[in-house]
Amino acid sequence: MSYIDIISSDVLIIGGGPSGLAASIRLADILKQRGQNKRILLIEKGRSIGSHILSGAVIKPSVFKELLPEVDFSEIPFNAKVTNDKTILLTEKRAIALPFHLPYMSNRGNYTASLGQICRYLALKAEEKGVEIYTGFAVDEILYKDGKVIGAKTKDTGLDHHGHQLENFQAGTRIEAKITIFAEGTRGSLTKMLIKKFNLDKDRNEQVYSLGCKELWTVPQGNIEAGQIFHTMGYPLDNDEFGGGFIYGLKDNKVAIGLVVGLDFKDPTFDVHDAFQIWKTTSFVSRILKGGKLVEYGAKTLPEGGYYAIPKLFVDNAIIIGDSAGLVAMPALKGIHLAIRSGMLAAQTAANALSHNDTSEKSLEQYQNLLNNSSIHKEMYAVRNFRQGFAKGLIAGGLHFGTQLITGGAGFFGRLRSDADYKTTLKLSELKKKPFKERFKGKLEFDKVLTFDKATDVYYSGVYHDEQQVVHLQINDMEKFNSINIEQYGAPEQFFCSSEVYELHTSKTGQKELRIHAENCMHCKTCDIKSPGEAITWVVPNGGNGPDFQNM
Amino acid sequence: MALTIISLIKQVPLPSEMRMGEDGLMDRTKAKSIINIDCQYGLEAGLQLRKQHPDARLVVCSMGPKSFETSLRTAISMGYDEAYLLSDRKLGGSDTYATGLAISKMLNHLGFTKDSKDPFIILAGRQTSDGDTAHVPSQVAEKIGIPQATFVESLKADGSGNVIAKRIIEGGYQILKLPIPCVISLTPTGIPPRKPSLSGAIKARTLEITTFGIDNIGLGTEKIGINGSPTIVVKVVNIVSERPPVTMSEGHNEASLVDSFIVNFKKGGNVLEKKDKAAKKEIERPHFPEKDFRNGARGIITWAEVTNGKISRPSIELLTPARNLAAQLGNDTKVMTLIIGKNVQHLAQTLIEHGSDEVILVENDKLEEYLVLPFSSIFAQVIKERKPEIALFAATTSGRELAPRIGMKTNSGVTADCTGLEIGEYIDKKEKVIYTPILESRRPTYGESKLATILGFVCPQISTARAGTFEVPKRVEGRQGIVSRFNPVLNDEDFVVEILKTVRGEGGLQNLFDADIVISGGRGTTSDSLGLIKALAEALKSQGINAEWSCSRPVVDEGVSEYARQIGQTGKTIRPKVYIAVGVSGAIQHIAGMKESETIIAIDHNPKAHIFHYADFGIVGEYQDLLPELIERVKTGFKFGIEARKNQ
Repeated sequence: MSYIDIISSDVLIIGGGPSGLAASIRLADILKQRGQNKRILLIEKGRSIGSHILSGAVIKPSVFKELLPEVDFSEIPFNAKVTNDKTILLTEKRAIALPFHLPYMSNRGNYTASLGQICRYLALKAEEKGVEIYTGFAVDEILYKDGKVIGAKTKDTGLDHHGHQLENFQAGTRIEAKITIFAEGTRGSLTKMLIKKFNLDKDRNEQVYSLGCKELWTVPQGNIEAGQIFHTMGYPLDNDEFGGGFIYGLKDNKVAIGLVVGLDFKDPTFDVHDAFQIWKTTSFVSRILKGGKLVEYGAKTLPEGGYYAIPKLFVDNAIIIGDSAGLVAMPALKGIHLAIRSGMLAAQTAANALSHNDTSEKSLEQYQNLLNNSSIHKEMYAVRNFRQGFAKGLIAGGLHFGTQLITGGAGFFGRLRSDADYKTTLKLSELKKKPFKERFKGKLEFDKVLTFDKATDVYYSGVYHDEQQVVHLQINDMEKFNSINIEQYGAPEQFFCSSEVYELHTSKTGQKELRIHAENCMHCKTCDIKSPGEAITWVVPNGGNGPDFQNM
Repeated sequence: MALTIISLIKQVPLPSEMRMGEDGLMDRTKAKSIINIDCQYGLEAGLQLRKQHPDARLVVCSMGPKSFETSLRTAISMGYDEAYLLSDRKLGGSDTYATGLAISKMLNHLGFTKDSKDPFIILAGRQTSDGDTAHVPSQVAEKIGIPQATFVESLKADGSGNVIAKRIIEGGYQILKLPIPCVISLTPTGIPPRKPSLSGAIKARTLEITTFGIDNIGLGTEKIGINGSPTIVVKVVNIVSERPPVTMSEGHNEASLVDSFIVNFKKGGNVLEKKDKAAKKEIERPHFPEKDFRNGARGIITWAEVTNGKISRPSIELLTPARNLAAQLGNDTKVMTLIIGKNVQHLAQTLIEHGSDEVILVENDKLEEYLVLPFSSIFAQVIKERKPEIALFAATTSGRELAPRIGMKTNSGVTADCTGLEIGEYIDKKEKVIYTPILESRRPTYGESKLATILGFVCPQISTARAGTFEVPKRVEGRQGIVSRFNPVLNDEDFVVEILKTVRGEGGLQNLFDADIVISGGRGTTSDSLGLIKALAEALKSQGINAEWSCSRPVVDEGVSEYARQIGQTGKTIRPKVYIAVGVSGAIQHIAGMKESETIIAIDHNPKAHIFHYADFGIVGEYQDLLPELIERVKTGFKFGIEARKNQ
């Protein structure tokens, strides 16, 4: 009795993050204004809204006023208004406060927040407006008819490790929609398929990413004030590693800390999580955490290829928004307000398309036009070459960024190219500098007070995966993986993974074998992005699986 | 008329919710609510039955606050058709008796009675994770007046009005044939619950849930709620762990991990820092009049369960608390034991020598194997005649369904799975009286984290005692006692359930109780059919150590081991000097069976495994790598600090 259920909707939104929720809210508002009664379905793979949401976060608030004009601004659960904003240059032993802000890095008027909490609030608003939100459902297939997107299908459940149907097999539901909005967040697994199928990244830069590891702490009163924020540059990152740390003071003596590192690092043994732990041991950071306790851990990637890496964002019956579209403004790594705005613009486009009963590519091109005339374009175009400049290293990048400021973003060369992150890793034999473990020798013993090993940190993410399912991290070619990723690169997966999923096991006889602990997966997608030779494909596991972030 | 399948469910806090609070303790307040795991298996059993009966109507029912609607909607999203909730403030504080009563009343109201023309099957979970009593299914069956099978793992309809159910029993299983209508409670070992479907969730979003108050179903307040329930919880205290925090081994491969473990083991691991207990405040006993509520009921009755022609060990253990209670009650309080079976007279002397004063025999060829309907009927008749004040049962799968079914007949509450039984008194400040003497039944609850004391005010006060908790009382050869016979009235209706097959494993594996070292394999070690687990046990044995191997429940479910080797709440409770858990995740039910071992060593690949919270030593790694290493060390002389047996 395995029939397939079919549901139809006017609009299907895949993903319950800021962009998808904003799209649903805006769409419901416009349709109501026009007196049209349309069905809006929003599907989220996390157990609940917010459980897969992680961000710093310091948020530019103005877009919320546009999204929710009827709401009293103080009702939105921001945490604290930024009162004190400093950039710190760290060396191993010292911390120097910069007397100025880097351009585009000022946070005046912004708010600290838990983006998860904000999303939970937005979901309530959306449901009030009639949006149907379903959480805990994974969507793993795009439905096509005559080569055009006609919706998506939720994942079949009740399969064993080999994909065989068990007695409790439950077929997924086909959702047929006039318009499907892809709002999956960073490196969306369906978006990736969509981009590939329609060649949407043709003539664009390859998207590049950063990985951010974050911890939420509770600290003794006085360690940091709510609204006090710091960004750090330098240690423990080298000149050729792009990234930095953040420390955001929150209400109730909480503090959010994290280290964000560009995934174009070259050292195959580089470990962002461990670098984050080392960063915490600097006297500047450890002072703030002193006497405190870890509350939560999480990690996620963010797209930072910028303007030139944005793929084409619309095809017949489908639109891509938010992080899935690569809408993040450098160098501040701010994407929330852009995600919300893109959702609003997609909503406007979708509403018009539904009104005209024309959801063709031509009709949806309005989305691109709206984006081009919006602040998203303005913000991202001005820094269009920022990240690529840094691919050559911090100093070269800094110099180049200086010239970009003068030339309005163009720099000396017009458009700079970027290489996908999986191409930048060096083979062990090619690595000139000290590998990570030697570089930080003596600093990798974690005391479980200030610093934590990955396994312990993962415990603080609430992560859970059903045991009975196909492993959702797929090695595309095992033979190649063994001969290239393990033999030549030393299995960088075991290091770059934020959550102890990959283990390289060496037997007594010297036999090396990759073991996958999929149950730890934080859904950050780093492996999908960074594995040499694109060796790993991240597919979505059962709905409701993954981390269970509370206040990330 | 098409079959109706009714699933009874309860919403509980997620038991495995292991989020640390900011104080470093487990934070249960943030625990999310889920459908009780066993109830989820009940729901799935209903969905499986629909494969046989595609036109069946699937109904889900619950009793509890309005918030339980969430779980009812989840059931709908899994594929159920209708949902009913009994929700009334007046039901607050109901014990299992009152709950069983209220639920059966709701089911009657919905048209499900003993004499319904339309066929129905009631499914339930074996027990809930927050109550752990396993009473309600039995009580509902008794109250509606229909047959039951509890602790059932799988079932199917036979197409001619019967249900064929596989019921777990001590040491094996039974295949039962039950006529419809009947009540079946499911263990969480059958077919795991399916995930909701999106189409189901969409249906659940708008489905109307019918909510009843007690007035709607014609239920009075006399026997429900905190005041009407026959039992009350008078005290709940935290169970303080007696075990210091785990010492984890460190290393980068199996050799160094095992080295590190052996060094730690020899050092002796962590030491528990005991906090000085605050001096106990003496509560002044008020000068209230004493009230003897027993109404002339006197004496203690126990049930001697017979399996394979022998009295089961837990039934003999039961005589320890029985004698102890008799001594506390004084006045020559008698301990009676009821034994039912075919040719069981010769077992009477054994019971007397272990402490019974009188053995009441019921012999009948049709009663060779335990059946809940005739046994509960006989027991109730004996109680009516003998009027005992206390009735004790071993908390075996039979005792745990028999006791509540009897309790429903005698209007007594039942306290399940006790680890402590004492005589005490109850000071009722409202009525200004002291109830004395009264049975204080203590039982672990909330996932073994709390110890609750429960009192019953209707005689007999019924409790079931956890197997393995009490010692077998010393046998006094030649002890004198009375052997009497009882002739019950039984009718055909008591024999409508047929045992098609009984399968028991090799004896009771007594050596598991005596072994110094027990190595237990969990779900994670079945890939080589416990080959390495057995090999480690063998290696120890050949060093002259009394070692044995055992397993956790999933291993039995997968058919890799016989039930007799299962450790845990539905298996054995053991206390070896060293317990080595390999690939055991540490489900609370398993912990219950091994947590009193002297030293616990846990090996698992998952550093978050629950088992490490209960262990003295932990090694994180793959068992396939670690066990061969450990076996090597045993062969070269490492014996976990255990002396070899002299006589080897």
